[in-house]
Amino acid sequence: MRRTVRLLTGTALAVAAAGAAAAPAHGGDTGGRLEVFPATVVPGGDVTVTSTSCGDSGTATGDASAVGAGHFTLAPTAHEGEATGHFRVPPSAQQGTYEIDVICTEGDDWATGDLVVTLSSERAQVSPRGSVKTGVGGALGPDPVQTAGGVAALAVAAAGGTWLLHRRARGDGI
Amino acid sequence: MRRVGNTAMAAVTAAALLSGAWLLRNGSETHAPPQPTAAEAHSGPSDPRSAPPLPPSPPDRIRIPSLRVDAPLMGLRLTGAGSLDVPPAREKNLAGWYEAGTTPGETGTAIVAGHVDNADGPAVFYGLGAAKKGAVIEVARRDGTVALFSVDAVEVYDARDFPDEKVYGAARRPELRVITCGGGFSPGTGYQGNVVVFAHLTGSR
Repeated sequence: MRRTVRLLTGTALAVAAAGAAAAPAHGGDTGGRLEVFPATVVPGGDVTVTSTSCGDSGTATGDASAVGAGHFTLAPTAHEGEATGHFRVPPSAQQGTYEIDVICTEGDDWATGDLVVTLSSERAQVSPRGSVKTGVGGALGPDPVQTAGGVAALAVAAAGGTWLLHRRARGDGI
Repeated sequence: MRRVGNTAMAAVTAAALLSGAWLLRNGSETHAPPQPTAAEAHSGPSDPRSAPPLPPSPPDRIRIPSLRVDAPLMGLRLTGAGSLDVPPAREKNLAGWYEAGTTPGETGTAIVAGHVDNADGPAVFYGLGAAKKGAVIEVARRDGTVALFSVDAVEVYDARDFPDEKVYGAARRPELRVITCGGGFSPGTGYQGNVVVFAHLTGSR
């Protein structure tokens, strides 16, 4: 299944690359990595793909036809040079690993990533248990900066006091 | 002239004495993090309505404007004991989300956790116990959307009797939990439990 998908995609890309050979190529022969989230999904689940392969223009067309979800559009995100899009895995999808492809609207850059379809969801089934260890009490202790400042100020006070007492003892008048 | 000098020195000495005493006193005081009041606890059945769920997308950042929280999020997994792992304690302004679970904005319960303090002092969620019902929590996501949540309740739970189902259990609408340490503190065993903020999705932008 997966091999067939790869072969077909490879052919499509070869055709695309040949068509674009006259245009200035920027990395068209090596596809970028596509972030597929979640990487494992149950039939009927939603998937988000994010690509950084399309530069500033951002937009791209996604191809999830391998898993039966057809084509979808990727739009630029708030992050520079990043495009994202969504598709839904059909409820009838079979278990397996499918290739998801993205072809940039401008240029001939592309990206590819894998999506695993499982029939039983492993995701979100294991919930955490018990409390979370998120503190050691460091906010509770004495503040070393304030303490040091206090000690310094008291030292100044002691020096001043000594000086004044010294004056007084000499009868300089206070 | 000499008298003026003496007066000035006396004033400086007195000021240093007072400020020194104040600094020492204040510096040795404990600065316990705020804890939720009973008014912020769950009251009655929660409003089942929420905004339509968002597609799954991992979160980048959490912001709680009313508490001046604005921190990046890292992925968290489970410890060997099955509890939620936590971000590295030395990173003061870093929170985490349970990356094997629901993403914030999706239908279900998304979980975010962060430190109340570390060895140096207060950390990212020091003020979490002061959150109020209705406060806005923003989660910026990888797909460029910002999921907006509204606080439903703020609770504190003892670690010995932690309500796993209530905190981590599945939800039929997009919900969020934000967790940090709380409850009493004892030097031997540390914080006694967790402050947990319950929130639901109200929209996105």
